[in-house]
Amino acid sequence: MSEFLVFDGVTKRFGDFVAVRDASFAIEKGEIFALLGPSGCGKTTLLRMLAGFIEPDEGRILIEGEDITRLPPERRPVNTVFQSYALFPHLTIRDNIGFGLKMAKRPKAEIDAEVDRMLDLVDLAEHGDKKPDRISGGQKQRVAIARALVNKPRVLLLDEPLAALDLKLRQRLLVELDGIHDEVGITFLYVTHDQTEAMAISDRIAVMQRGGLEQIGTPAEIYEAPVNSFVAAFIGDTNFLRGKVSEILDAEYSRATVESIGEIRLYNDRPLEMGEDIALSLRPEKIRIETHPPAEEAGLNAIEGTVDDVIYLGSLTRYWVRVGDQRIAIEKQHARYQLDERLPAWKDRVWLSWRADDGCLLTDFAVEDTELLSLPPEGDE
Amino acid sequence: MKKATTLRSRHPLPVLATAVALVFLYFPILVLVLNSFNASRYGASWEGWSMRWYELLFSARSRDIWEALQRSLVIGVAASAVSMVLGTMAAWALNRYRTRLQKAHFGLIYLPIVAPDILMGISLAIFFVTLDVERNIGAITVAHITFCISYVALAVLARLQDFDGSVVDAARDLGANRWQTIVRVVVPLLAPGILAGGLLAFTLSIDDFVITFFVKGVGSDTLPLKIYSMTKHTKEMPVINALSTLLLTFTFAVVWWVQRLSRARAVA
Amino acid sequence: MGNPRRQPNPERRNEWWTTLPSAGWLLVFFAVPTLLIVVMSFKPAGPYGGFGEGWSLKAWADMAHPSYPAIVWRTVWLSVAATIVCVGLGLPVGFLLGRADEKTRALLLLLVVVPFWTNFLIRVYAWKVLLHPSGYLRETLVGLGIIGENTLLLYNEGAVLLVMVYAYLPFAILPIYASAEKFDFALLDAARDLGASSIRAFWLVFVPGVGRGVLAAVVMVLIPALGSYIIPDIVGGPAGEMVGNKIAQRVFIDRNWPHAAALATLLMIVTLLPVIFAFVQQKRESVPDGSRKGGGKATA
Repeated sequence: MSEFLVFDGVTKRFGDFVAVRDASFAIEKGEIFALLGPSGCGKTTLLRMLAGFIEPDEGRILIEGEDITRLPPERRPVNTVFQSYALFPHLTIRDNIGFGLKMAKRPKAEIDAEVDRMLDLVDLAEHGDKKPDRISGGQKQRVAIARALVNKPRVLLLDEPLAALDLKLRQRLLVELDGIHDEVGITFLYVTHDQTEAMAISDRIAVMQRGGLEQIGTPAEIYEAPVNSFVAAFIGDTNFLRGKVSEILDAEYSRATVESIGEIRLYNDRPLEMGEDIALSLRPEKIRIETHPPAEEAGLNAIEGTVDDVIYLGSLTRYWVRVGDQRIAIEKQHARYQLDERLPAWKDRVWLSWRADDGCLLTDFAVEDTELLSLPPEGDE
Repeated sequence: MKKATTLRSRHPLPVLATAVALVFLYFPILVLVLNSFNASRYGASWEGWSMRWYELLFSARSRDIWEALQRSLVIGVAASAVSMVLGTMAAWALNRYRTRLQKAHFGLIYLPIVAPDILMGISLAIFFVTLDVERNIGAITVAHITFCISYVALAVLARLQDFDGSVVDAARDLGANRWQTIVRVVVPLLAPGILAGGLLAFTLSIDDFVITFFVKGVGSDTLPLKIYSMTKHTKEMPVINALSTLLLTFTFAVVWWVQRLSRARAVA
Repeated sequence: MGNPRRQPNPERRNEWWTTLPSAGWLLVFFAVPTLLIVVMSFKPAGPYGGFGEGWSLKAWADMAHPSYPAIVWRTVWLSVAATIVCVGLGLPVGFLLGRADEKTRALLLLLVVVPFWTNFLIRVYAWKVLLHPSGYLRETLVGLGIIGENTLLLYNEGAVLLVMVYAYLPFAILPIYASAEKFDFALLDAARDLGASSIRAFWLVFVPGVGRGVLAAVVMVLIPALGSYIIPDIVGGPAGEMVGNKIAQRVFIDRNWPHAAALATLLMIVTLLPVIFAFVQQKRESVPDGSRKGGGKATA
């Protein structure tokens, strides 16, 4: 049951370029599984290998135990929603949706009934006789979904399905897509470079980079417990604190000396050793910013700095606070109407505080990942 | 963009040049049409309206003109049909693959377009003579296909520029096999390009004089060859005028019809 | 891992299947015959026309005959002159076409293209009627006193040049228009704004801007002009003969085929070599993209 769709050691090279390196993972029946990563990370190649447009160089792809690695695309129990929609411009919406059933040589009456049902599902009943160039982008998107779903695929592949739409429409269709998923209960494999989209829709996310899988988990796991600096920086924004373990306090907590910040307390996400180099990811919204020192409290880290930059964003304000050589990003939510409260302003002396458990210890750190942060490090770093 | 046009003072030169070019392009044609109705044999002076050249054109004495036209049509249809198939496949390969083979392929497609007709004519003539092939209507058709392929290929290639390749993947994904994909998706989508290329090929074939002149053996005159031999005999000049006027009228009618058709489609 | 051996790449096989028909045809009926010309120019003439046995340099030695350089020179200067006039006229026309609104543009384009669909021979022949000693044009010009009683308009180099410009003008207009259509006309406003007169803006901004179109126009006019045969044959007379006429004479009158082959080789060197050179040059500039995805264009 849980081994519904399996990628087993799948590798694909284009010349010297390794597009996908030894990908092994399983997707559960009925879940929405997202492949998330920057362009060129291999997510689309993985999807195209599942659809059958590309053959892997190594490895196998199985659906419910059946090896489909070498099947041509037309004989696979999967259907794709293409990034460009790929609607047939010479066919009407009805004929587009009915194309797959026609290829399967189903009787005409049955095709008509199925197409009607799909047109209803995606709310396009009155547009059935139009050609694709007569409908809007959002409607095309829904036709593309209907055209794939009508064949009752065992897996629906969605290749950046919302990339061509504007933000508002994207958000609306995301909700619709979720609704359709609940209704049909088919497994979705969703490829995107947009972390918000992936977080919003997926049950689980696989984060990819340079052909490799970095981390697989629920959106919360990925966000709250990133394994390495790439995942931490690619999903949302964060601060990286790097230092050396200076004291093991107990099984749960340790102390570390962090460059230009000093001693901090941290949670042992894994067993630590004295003197070990560590990298910590600390999300901006986990940090409190105050114009006065916080009350002493066990397990609370507090440091002092100067406000370097302030961006007011309505629901929240972003601060960058200089502490020694480092700048720390902070997000302060405005849960209350607060014109009467004085917010920290530019050049203010401020205190930052966070709980030791709120940092996340990374197993891997790469300096170039700091380029992904909203405020990249200054030149000399 | 409104503002841009007010800033730019319109220089009269482009309009003037275009007017001169158009007068230049149409003047001889107009004179020719006029002369086809001129009673005078030499067209030098106006001797009144007359339909005698048209009568002569449709009389038994002009039977070989019509035979030549028929031959031209047969060759034109055959050459454009074959080149439509070969040219479309060529364009597909050129568009889809970016290999060294396609670079060479593109060279082979491109060179016949720039090569002067006379070069192609003499080379094919020598080729057929060397191989001792009979230079009949078949040889002419082969020669015409050779220069038509490139034009069809380029016309289809232009159409392929805004062809979304993912519809091919989509068709396969929805269960169509290779052949069904070609018949149901690729060909209908490329049809305008294929037809435009075919039409161009047909016109070029009907129009060709030089290559046919070199390739053909004895007896199989196409229409341009017939016209050529008539230009060498001044006596028959006015009949050519009449024939040209008819062909012109026909061309304009076809163009008008195609325009109307495409406009009607744009409205629908 | 029990991986099946690498199968023959299906994409590669598809490529061959779609490439072979056209490439094969053109290889057999275009490339081979074209190269055959070069080979056959080293054959002796046959006693009764055609080619003789063995090999000979006679055809090439004969190219030195005094009548040939004159004809080659005439061919070159007439073609270059025709190209200059066509491009010179094509630039303002292309400019107007590029700037015109959609409707005017469609109409003008149609007007430029329609003469294409008239038989080439008939169009050339129409000029013969016009330029004829007793034709309207000469009578009118003589009547107006622009030319003398004894001036002949037909059967000279001028007539050939005039009709070449007439026949090849659309070949210059269309590529220049194709470039002008993509030209950003706001650049001309920028040039005017920076102090250029409209003529200077045209020369310094528009003409370089449609450079590719001009280059295509030069190729499209110069090469067929160099290979002209019908035009000098119909309106040129002996005083307007070009290389093309000589080739035809060798084939149809003397039946000296090696001679014709040598002349054609010369023509080929002048016309096709620059194109092939430009093509190879272009090939070197384009960088091969290693990261191409398997589906070719489809993934792009």
